[in-house]
Amino acid sequence: MEYLASDKIAIVDLGSRDITEEELEEDLVLDKIGGAGITKHLYDQYASAQSNDNGPIVLGTGLLTGTLVPGSSLGIMTAKSPSTGKVSHVPLHLDAGIELKYSGFDYIVIKGKAEKPVYLWIHDGIVDINDADELWGKDTWTATDDIRSEMGDDLIQVLGIGRAGENGSDLAQVGINYWQSADRMGFGKLFGEKNLKLIAIRGMGLLEISEPEDFIEDCAELITTIRSNSLMDMQGIAATAAALGEEDFRDWIGPLTHRHMACFNTPVATSTFIFTDEDPALLKESTVPEPGFLLTDIFPLITFKKAGLSAKETGAVLKACAKYGIDGAAVAELSAKSGLTSPEDIEKALPDLKGPVECAGSSVFSAWAAVGKETDENWERRQAVAYVMGIHPIWLQMAPDLTEEKLLDLAGLGTELELPQETLDEVIADILV
Amino acid sequence: MTVSRYMALNKRLISGEALTFSQGPGKWLHQTTQDEDRPLYYPKIGIYTGKGASHSWLWFADIFERLGFYDLAFLTENDLAQDALDRLDVLAMSGGDTFAIAEALGPKGARKLEDFITAGGLYLGSCAGAYLPLYSSKEHLNHFNFVAAKITNLTKTLPEAHSMKEKFCTCYGCSFIYHPVREEIEVTTSGLPPFGTSMTLTAPLYGGPPMTVTDPETILATYTNFTNKTLFLVDRELAEKTLFGNAAIIRGKMGQGHLHLFGPHFEHPHYLEANLFLANAMMWDLPVQPSPSTDLDDEMESRVGSEKKTFIRNLKRELSNSRIVAAGLEMSPLKWTIGNKVYEAGKIRVFLEAIWQRLRSFEKMTPVLVRPGQDGLLVQTALHITENIRKIKRGWDRQADTLEPARALFGFLNRTSALFLEIYFRSKRFHYSRENCIGTLSWSN
Repeated sequence: MEYLASDKIAIVDLGSRDITEEELEEDLVLDKIGGAGITKHLYDQYASAQSNDNGPIVLGTGLLTGTLVPGSSLGIMTAKSPSTGKVSHVPLHLDAGIELKYSGFDYIVIKGKAEKPVYLWIHDGIVDINDADELWGKDTWTATDDIRSEMGDDLIQVLGIGRAGENGSDLAQVGINYWQSADRMGFGKLFGEKNLKLIAIRGMGLLEISEPEDFIEDCAELITTIRSNSLMDMQGIAATAAALGEEDFRDWIGPLTHRHMACFNTPVATSTFIFTDEDPALLKESTVPEPGFLLTDIFPLITFKKAGLSAKETGAVLKACAKYGIDGAAVAELSAKSGLTSPEDIEKALPDLKGPVECAGSSVFSAWAAVGKETDENWERRQAVAYVMGIHPIWLQMAPDLTEEKLLDLAGLGTELELPQETLDEVIADILV
Repeated sequence: MTVSRYMALNKRLISGEALTFSQGPGKWLHQTTQDEDRPLYYPKIGIYTGKGASHSWLWFADIFERLGFYDLAFLTENDLAQDALDRLDVLAMSGGDTFAIAEALGPKGARKLEDFITAGGLYLGSCAGAYLPLYSSKEHLNHFNFVAAKITNLTKTLPEAHSMKEKFCTCYGCSFIYHPVREEIEVTTSGLPPFGTSMTLTAPLYGGPPMTVTDPETILATYTNFTNKTLFLVDRELAEKTLFGNAAIIRGKMGQGHLHLFGPHFEHPHYLEANLFLANAMMWDLPVQPSPSTDLDDEMESRVGSEKKTFIRNLKRELSNSRIVAAGLEMSPLKWTIGNKVYEAGKIRVFLEAIWQRLRSFEKMTPVLVRPGQDGLLVQTALHITENIRKIKRGWDRQADTLEPARALFGFLNRTSALFLEIYFRSKRFHYSRENCIGTLSWSN
């Protein structure tokens, strides 16, 4: 596969510590396009050969991830969810998807179980399996700091677990760096079962585009069209909440808001950084070690708000969840059910929280992006398109200009391959089985 | 005149075809001289990479590769002090710290260099490499009094520096050598045979000398103008006075050989016309008799299959580790004074990229040819780069002094690049020769 790809799939066997590489065949792309289409295919391929565990974890990126297409930030993690029992897909947002795209691999299959704790260091076409004895037991913040310090770069993206994953909680989440991720599927438990503390990713690779001038021109036109979309005014997590009918959310979170953050090349900022221990009006770098927290998930905020927690208390609880490596949405739901309303009580209860949670949803896609799901009967199809192409799934819900036809056209221009609508339909049908 | 012409010429030369200057550069230059029938051959070129050399020696490697000259050797001061020059036709001495180069080579290296040139060898000196063979009474430099030229940027009273104060001047006894401008500058060639008609070229100046000589026939080019990319370190008027009308390139003669001394970096890869001028001049002044063949010897070992794959993977791992840290450091204001030279963090990646950019084609070479232990040594030195660059990052995070790891780092960067390029060009030459069906390289596995 010559264009928009590194042309490499890594097969990592944690048990034997063998790493093999395969080419990304053009035929596979013609058949499955990319993203979740291929991660699902690889999952099926490697799951059948295994019997002793929950199957492999497959990382990948969409065909358009890391390009100029607006919202092209998405990476995908596919595995069998301990929460739902289904082969499910979690979006890798913030900068995790883009680093994966440029890491020198299009897809990474992680199978088997390591004998003792390990971490993966994926960089420029190399996968290293390194011992993680010193990282095991550490919270996600400390582990992220340690790995970045060890490797000497602050831009390394860390997909890691905390104590929740190590201890086998069904609610364990694979976090992204210091923050809560979109993992509602309990993939953190799978990491723990595999003795995989974290995956550190950094890539300085390049992508080649088949028809660069036309591709860039089309992307520029698309950006111009999108700018006229009134949804472009929706910046920050409070705007998303308002769209869900939570009109007073702004008043609740507003006083703590420091800045909004968008995922790579995504026109709308879906995350908001709040200062809980620093003046939110500060316009220089804070000297406080942990001034606040990046809010990446709207649903736990709404639940905690309804339970009567203040925004500051919610920020503190979610920070504790992130460090412990547990899904904040699940914690919010279960603590509300248990009547826990004080931050201290919720934090103390984290190791013992159990039980089925509605927030995991019933789809094979993370309910993290379920904004507007109730009113959009095509939600699951749009999610599938996002996961196949590598487009931010919340953004794609908001951007009707990013039609399937347009995305297929761009993929064709970028790859020199003919990717018809029928193929996309088949790929989506396969993912939704 | 294009790169492809040189590639085609070199392909014919390496295949052993008998050609004359008039069938190569002479033809492109439309130049007829009494010596137009002098024979051409595929030259063996040494590039000095030892103490005092800056990263600019990599530029020589870049342009020689681009033009199809693959018989390259990468030499340290120790190599020069032994018999490495006996196997070369050309020695390229890049920019760097002239004093450090002179000290490293010492009187023994100076004699070897003198013998090499006197016997017919060609010396290409750029920037620091151009200062080196000029007459001087200063310690260490006084062993290299080969060319009677004077520099015009020498002063007892230092003018005011307007920018880049750390790169503006160098002490020279009780005087100073100052650098009036940096970056791009315009020079006009003299048009003396065999270098075609007079033309205007641009090339970057990073501290190289403006020179005066008594014999105008030895001037190949003079400084004539600035461009909109010229960076002034002193008043424009003083810069004009220091540079304009003075020699930018001179062609000295010593015994049977020649010295081409370039003030501006004509080997800078972004300046193709300048590169071609340098190559034409080199081809014109090659020794009449080529140096003895450096056929690949019996000691050479091949790396193929999994052995090669493991070797390249291990090398790639360390380069990637280092590049990632280096990219981050480029956003810092870190710089270090090592010897008389200032090194910014951005220089680190220049070395790393010189290897990284060649890895893809290196991976395709089968076999890769190494001397015993060279592959292991290369990976080991690359590992030291990773260790030291990470030390620098951690030191920077703690606001600690990072000079020591930086000193070690640049040493390892230099050694690793030179070692890699030695293996790379040896393997490349082997494949190039094999593709062109010639028997001058006899190594087989």
